[in-house]
Parts: sequence; C-alpha cells; structure tokens
Amino acid sequence: MKSHLLIFISLTIITVRLFAQEQFTIGGYVRDESNGEELIGATVLVNELSTGAVANMYGYYAITLPKGNYEITYRYIGYESVIQTIEVDQDIRMDMELPTVSEELDAVVVSSKSMDANVTTTEMSTAALDIQSIKKMPAFAGEVDLIKSLQMLPGVTSVGEGAPGFNVRGGSVGQNLVLLDEAPVYQSSHMFGFFSVFNPDAVKDVKLYKGGIPARYGGRLSSVLDIRMKEGNNKHYEVNGGVGTIFSRLSVEGPLKKDKASFILAGRRSYADVFAKLFTDMLADGGLHFYDLTAKVNLNINEKNRVFASGYWGRDVFDFGEATGFNWGNRTATIRWNNLISENLFSNYSFYYSLYDYGFNFGDNLDNFDWKSSIQTFNFKPQFAWSVNTTNELTFGGEAVLYEFNPAEAKVTNAGVRTDILLDRKRAIEASVYLSNAQEITTKLALDYGVRMSYFSALGGQEYLYGDTLVGLEKPLEGVQNMDDWEAGASYVNAEPRVAVKYQLSNSSSLKASYNRTVQYLHQISNTTVSTPTDIWYPSNSNVKPQKGQQVALGYFRNLRNNSLEASIETYYKWTGNQVDYIDGADLFVNEFLDAQFLSGIGRSYGLEFYLKKNTGRFHGWVSYTLSKTELKVDGINYRDDLVHRSGKWYPTSFDQRHNLKVAAFYRLSDQLLLSSNFSFMSGTPSTFPTDRMTVNGYVIPYIKGGARNNFRAPDYHRLDISLTFQQLGRKGKAKSINDELVVSVYNLYARKNPFSIYFSQGADRQGDTNVQTAAKQMSILGALIPAVSYNFKF
Amino acid sequence: MKKSILLLLVVYALGCEMTIHPELESPAEILVVDAWLIHNKQEQVVKLSKSQGYFEDQDPEPITGALVKVLDQTSGVVYDFAETDLGYRYTTDSTFGVIGHEYQLSIEVEGDSFSAKARLGAVPAVDSVVFSHNPEDFNILSDYYSAEFFATDLQGDGNTYWIKTWKNGILLNKPSEINIAYDAGFGAGQQVDGVVFHKSIRRDFINPLEEREDRANYYYPPYDIGDSVYVEIHSIDQVAYDYLAAVKTQTDRPGGFSELFAVPLSNVITNVQSTDRNSSTPVAGFFNVAAVSAGGKKLTQQLANQLQD
Repeated sequence: MKSHLLIFISLTIITVRLFAQEQFTIGGYVRDESNGEELIGATVLVNELSTGAVANMYGYYAITLPKGNYEITYRYIGYESVIQTIEVDQDIRMDMELPTVSEELDAVVVSSKSMDANVTTTEMSTAALDIQSIKKMPAFAGEVDLIKSLQMLPGVTSVGEGAPGFNVRGGSVGQNLVLLDEAPVYQSSHMFGFFSVFNPDAVKDVKLYKGGIPARYGGRLSSVLDIRMKEGNNKHYEVNGGVGTIFSRLSVEGPLKKDKASFILAGRRSYADVFAKLFTDMLADGGLHFYDLTAKVNLNINEKNRVFASGYWGRDVFDFGEATGFNWGNRTATIRWNNLISENLFSNYSFYYSLYDYGFNFGDNLDNFDWKSSIQTFNFKPQFAWSVNTTNELTFGGEAVLYEFNPAEAKVTNAGVRTDILLDRKRAIEASVYLSNAQEITTKLALDYGVRMSYFSALGGQEYLYGDTLVGLEKPLEGVQNMDDWEAGASYVNAEPRVAVKYQLSNSSSLKASYNRTVQYLHQISNTTVSTPTDIWYPSNSNVKPQKGQQVALGYFRNLRNNSLEASIETYYKWTGNQVDYIDGADLFVNEFLDAQFLSGIGRSYGLEFYLKKNTGRFHGWVSYTLSKTELKVDGINYRDDLVHRSGKWYPTSFDQRHNLKVAAFYRLSDQLLLSSNFSFMSGTPSTFPTDRMTVNGYVIPYIKGGARNNFRAPDYHRLDISLTFQQLGRKGKAKSINDELVVSVYNLYARKNPFSIYFSQGADRQGDTNVQTAAKQMSILGALIPAVSYNFKF
Repeated sequence: MKKSILLLLVVYALGCEMTIHPELESPAEILVVDAWLIHNKQEQVVKLSKSQGYFEDQDPEPITGALVKVLDQTSGVVYDFAETDLGYRYTTDSTFGVIGHEYQLSIEVEGDSFSAKARLGAVPAVDSVVFSHNPEDFNILSDYYSAEFFATDLQGDGNTYWIKTWKNGILLNKPSEINIAYDAGFGAGQQVDGVVFHKSIRRDFINPLEEREDRANYYYPPYDIGDSVYVEIHSIDQVAYDYLAAVKTQTDRPGGFSELFAVPLSNVITNVQSTDRNSSTPVAGFFNVAAVSAGGKKLTQQLANQLQD
C-alpha cells in the first residue's frame, strides 16, 4: 500500500517536472525581525497575479511562477507589510524579516494571520490563537491558560470548571489530537482540569482544526490542536517570567550563535503546597505540586538544512505521605530536520517520543496498593510540500507510530505479603500515508483535496473471545488466545478523504465548504462524568473497532470596514460510528477483561456557529455564539420501553449544550492600562436523574425507568471575569529595558454558583432501618468570586 | 483511598453545595426483590416490594400474594416460603442449605414469574479482632483507638465476601461503609489470592468516622473506652460482589470535589430475571445465600491501659 503510493508520487513529480520548464520558484522563511522567530501562516502575495502562498508550520513559503518581474507583498498580522520587487528568471531564495507594528495593532486578539486570510484561504473551521492575545484574557487565578482561552471560540466547549480538556463540535475530550511540536500530549491538564499543561511563555503558535482537517493529520475523530513552541530568540537574550497565585514562571531564550542557533528553556512550578503547609499540617508528610519544563534548541546548518530538538516534561504530584497519593505526567521529545530539497520542494522529517504515565498508591509499608499505567509512542513522520506551479501545491508524506501500552502494573501488599499484578503490555502500530493538493482553479475558486490512508494493527498480547448476552450486560468470556510478542492481531485499513473548497464572492467575502472523514484507533476509556488523568488509553482490537467519523461544514466569511471587522457563519453536521460507551456498573479499573465492559454506538452532532470580531481600535474583542446538538445512540442504554431487545434511543451526551455564547472584550484605557473581560453563557448540561428508589438490604438505591440516560438538564451556566493590566510599571515613557506588568483579575465577578453536577443520595448521616431520607444536591466547584494578582516581566 | 478523597475535599474548599427539589419523571413502581439468605440462620426472609418515587421517604409498599420458593439445584430440595406480615419466610431448626451448592429463587406474582440464581460459598473464620492506640492525625484531633480484624482469604481465585460491622450493636450501614472483598483485594483481575485481607478491608471500613460538629473535615475518634466492635464476614456470589460495588458507586456520593470522579447515575445490576425472555416487566433487586463467620471485641479500660503502655 505504502510503496504504491510512493511510486505514484515519484511518477507525478517526474511528469509535472517535464512540462514545468518555464517556471521558477521563490521560496524562503518569513521571520520576526526582532527575535528571528518564524511566522507560521504569514501570507506572501504576488500582486500581479493576485495569487500567493502561506508560510507553513516552519515559516517556509514557496511560490512557483512563470518567468517575469513581480511585486511581492509579505504580510502577517501585528507586523508591517513589506513589498519587494523581484525579477524571476531562476529559482530564488528570499527570506524576509517583518518588523512589528507599534501599539495600536498590538491589541489585536485572535489572529487570522493576515488581515483578510480568513476570507481568502480555503481553510475553514479553524481557530488560531495568538499567544499575545491569550495572555490578555482574564484567567482563573490569574493564570494564563491556553485551553481555557480556546473555549472562548465558537464550537469549543467544556463540561465545567475543573473538567480537563475541551470538547469540539460535540466530540469527546479523548477525540482531540493535541500536538506539542508534533508529539501527542495525552493529558493536557494540571491539577485535574484547572490549568493546562502548556507554558504560555514557550508557545509560539496555536491552531485548532474543528473541521476540514488537512490530510496530514490523523488519529483522532474530532479535532486537531497544533501547538508550536517558540524557537528561542536568535538575536539577543530574553528573559520572561511571572509570579502568580498558583504558578511562578521563568523562561530564558537567546542565540547560541547569532542568526544560526538559538534555544529556549521555560519552566513553571506551583506553590500550592507551600501555601497549604502554612494553613494545615495535613500535607506535612507529602505535598501537592505540579510543574512543567519546556526546552528547545535549533540550528541552521546551512541555507537548506535546519534541525530542531525539543522536549517537554510535566508532572502533577498529590502526595499524602504514608505511601498514599497519585501522580501523572507527560514527557515528549521531538527531533526535526527541515531539508530544502530544492526551493520549491520542502521536506521535514520528525522523530518523536511521547510518554504519558500515571499511577496511584495508598496504604503503608506493610499493606499497600500501588498502581501504574503508561502509554509510550515512538513516531517517524516525513512530510513534503511541493510548490508545483502557480496554481498547485502538493503536500504528501506519511507517519509510522509504534504504541506501547502498559495498562496496569500493580503491586498489592497485604500484611507484608506482596502480590504483583501485571496486565499484559500491548503494542500496536499505526501507519499512514497522505497526499493532498491545494489547487486554484480560477481566481475565485480554490480547492484543497486529499486522502489519508491509515492502517492499524494490534501486536502481541492476548485476543479475547466473548459470547453473546442480553445487550447492556457484561459479555461472558469464552476463550483467550495468547499471541507471540510481535504477532499481528486485529488490523484495520481506512481511507480518509479530506476536501475543502472556497469560492470568493468578493474581495471581502467568500463561501467555503469542507468534508472530512477521520478514524480513531485509540480510545480514551472513562465512565466518569468528566475525563480524569487516570483514564486509560486503549487500542482497537478484534472486539473494539476503530471509531469513525465524517463531517460536512459550510461557511460564509465576510470582512467589513477594511478588514477591521471579521464575521463568519458556519454550519456543520457530523456523524460517527463505533463510539465507545459502557455497561451499567462497568469496572474499568485494573481489569483484564475490559472489552466485556464496553458497548458500541453511533453519534451525531450538528450546529451553527456565529463569530464576529473587531480587530482594531481601543475597544476590540469578539462575540461567538454556537447553537448545537450532540447525541449518542447505544444499544443497552436508554432503551426506555424496549426491555426485550434493549435497542437504545438517542440521548444527549454529557457535553451537549444548546446555546453557547462567549464574549471577549478589551478596552485600552491608556498606554499603560488595559481592561479585559470575558463573559460565558452555556445551556445546562444533561444529567441523569432517577425516577424511583428501592430498598434492598436497608440501602436506598436509585432506579431510572427504562435505563434512561441524561434525561434532565442542570441549570444554565454563566460567568463574568474581568482583569486590569497595568503595563510599564513606574517607567512611563522611558526606554524599555524591562517590560513588566501587573495583572489584577477577578474570576466569576458576580459569584454565581454554577452547577458542576447534581447528585442524588441518602446523605452522609447514619440512617435508621426505615424511612431513609433522600435528597438531590447541586454542587458548584467554584461558587465564589475569585480574585488574583500576578506580576509578569520581560527583559 | 478514602483518606485521599477526604483530603481532596479539604484542599478544594472553594466548592459549595445546595439542596434542590427537581420534579422527576413519574416512578416506574417496579418489583423489587430483597432476598439475602443466610446459611447459619434459622429464619430466612425474602422481601418483595414496589419501588417508589425517589423523594418518597416512607416505607416501601410490600407486595402480597406471591409464591416464593428456593430450589437447591445440587440436591433437588425445595424450600417453600410462607407469606407473613414481615415478608416471605422459611424457618428451620438447623442451618439453611449446604456450602458449595447452587440455589435458585422462584417468584410468581401477578401473572409473571421470575427467577434468580446464586451459589452458597464458603467463608473463612475471623481470626482475631484487635484494637490499637494511635496518635492524633490529620483526621482526628486527639489520640484515639481504632479497630481491626484479621482473616485470610480462602484458597482459589474468585472468592467474594461482604464484611458487615456493628459498633455497640449498631450496624455501620452508610453507603460509604460497604466493605467488600474480591479474594483478599478489591476486584477481579487483581488476583490477590489466599492471603490476609488488605488493610483497607481489615481496618478502614470498620472504623466509623463521624464528622465533628465543631470543626468541618475533622472526625470523632471511631472507638472510645467502653465501645465494642462486632464483625461478620458473609460469603457472597461473584455477581453479588458486582452488585454491591454498584450499590456503593450509586449511593455513596459524598459530594464536593469527589464529584469530579463520579460516575453518572445508572441502574445497579440485578440477578433476578423474568422466566419469559419476551417479558417487558421490569424487575430489580438481588438474591444471595451467604455463609457467615464472626468475631468481636470490647474496648475495656484494662485493654486500653495495656494499649497505652
């Protein structure tokens, strides 16, 4: 399969070369003049042809043009445009450094790179967040948070405060592919869901694909969050840092050799444990802390070759002493090599390694329970971008991933007698190749089409055979087949077509549509209301089929008032198969026979997203509104009256929110003072309420008629946050040797007790034998106004 | 584990809770079977009742006029249960059933018939029950006495038990005090076989923690001088283990930060089924036959003095 595609690609390259003799390529990197950082997504426009290119993830662009003289404009939001006249009579290397613009544009928030890129590119259903803007938003506990900022955009939601991750267009948290410098991050939260693991000081670019996912990405159903780390300032040393209520941060970056090599090193650590020790001696024996460390170096070997090495190391530790606690962490390492085969053929080879491990233990020396689990990923990913001619840009490549799952390694000691429990390590391979072409058919019509072929195979371990039973109950085990270590087990091949089309209605408006099919071979297993760090990742096998999803989206994009106002409306419909759900009372913890706990169903979600953004001026910001519905249908769940066959009826997922309104508004009061505010409104999330109670053995047990799921809704959620940023403290008008700011923020300004969950119980008091009282309780995680102060500096 | 959750509740004191009064869907009022028979007892009771609206806290309405019997599938003996005001009863002058035998409960009521199966398993002896003296810690503000029992899981995989505890004759019946063991540990697939029960089983669940009225998140000492503890180990069917685990999940909701890890509400399993595969009559509840071993101890002044030394 793979070799065929490679032959096909090589043949195409040769053929196109044969009749492309009269063309030459201008290519190069677009960078920030002040620090040498590549500008991902900068636009390069050929004024005469009104065509152009967009700088790729490494900041490289290539335009292939017929021989001639051209005027070329380099643009990037927040930077001054540069126009260059070039005589094209051979392949030309043209690197460009753009100067940043001063104050008034500085305020720009979510950036679409070039002011009109949202209208002119074929890309839709994406949200690019500019890290400078993320830093301006009022944040919980004053801690700038990438994942929380994303939730201010249309189509992105969360179950609630403290819930890790995010939901995109009705997808679950485990259906998002989160990449940090191309390496997957399996758990994106610190302290459960309160903070995200990404250090804002080390992040350069953030882009979320909600739909129209390019063929170069695969492996998750719902979305791709592509996070790129800074390369490090290659002109001069720079130190960034901050002292907040939860973390303190410090990052150092600078040139190793000017314009040739640079580095960045950034770290954060929480000090909740330090505070906690002042108030209570409970944590005296242990601690509660989390930290992350990010490092990256890059080296320009020569004009054609560049290498990068980057790593991330983060961990959360909850240690209660007496051998009791839990912890989790991600580690990633990436090595990349950019190689310009020729000016119009850019290649990148990435090798990365990712490890996510988590565990908990309780007890003491003589009696304890100690449990660990991990997932390791080894990956090789070659990618090519070839600017074929003025109207075609071909991208192709592949990816080979080896997974190693260590589902459970537990030690149980009872009165000094130790028992080791080892669930078999499982391995799996996921390989894919892709080919896609961006084609300008006419000046108005552009098309981006491609296909990704993916292959997955379980390797070694055991194959379990299960018999049939009434749907919704645990299936009986009928046999276990032991496989050799690397023996191929269940395997799957899938074609994943991806298409996006744009029709330019005018200079400032366009219509776009996209279709994509995605397949997910790894499943995040969790039957808790929100995903938790101890959820396991489980590969497909003969019992658990890969999840499949398709999405169509249609959008209208329009810019007003000379691009100072951006507006868009998008609608989507998504349908999914092989969605994993669980039998009632599923036991997912250190269970060898997990497959018997799973149910499989189908899903659908659809919605309408509105977005209006004001880019410039003292008062700027955006409004996003999403109207959506997301449902699942699983046999054995929510079967209502059908007790005989138990075929499921549609039910809303726990993250189904009908209305979702977000407003981010910023007002620059003076050169030194910025007022920021966020408002969020979300319809109440669905919850399962009982109908009956029954008494068995003296316990009052809730019962739900017809196995109903999510049959009620919690009250609506709304919240207002504000912050005031005082910049350039005490040095008005002076030269900026140090840039510092003080941020005073208030989260949940009117202290609304937003519901996190509603639960039913007989209460904590001891009850008699009869007349046990039952009640419903509504719980808020953050039911108060939370002020915070943080200080940030840069020099 | 429990301790960790308690600690987390303290750490995340920002949360808050309030009682709400939602209007629920009308109740299904289904047949509920409460049939937990005990090998070592002379009188066996099967209770049949109707489920009621979730917030209706009066006694459940008993179901009368049913035919209830238990068949020993191994020996063929049938035990007929007689209807009384306090449920359906069977009385014998010795023990009920034989360890290792399989039992089937049959119920005929209002034109429907239901059955359930369970195995009467063996139970290990309670080797000892002891008290110990502990210094004050992060849960309890003074030095205190705690209880612990010792027993060893029977050889062979998949023995399941329910440990019930009485303090001064009062059953520890909070959902959070449900104490079950799968072999000597906490679940299938963990294979901790034939050893002394894990400390959490021996100790954590038999020491009742009542929150202090004067200080949140702190507890009264579980046992004071003069108190007694009595522990019973019941052998339960493997499915009964799953059932009790589910009961605990669905009823033990301490609220607060533990809600982050809470499993959405769902029905607990039942081993009672309609004998007609095409029946649409719902049923819930559970049937089990248990053998019981027991042990107890009183914390006398004399014992306390010895422990203090």
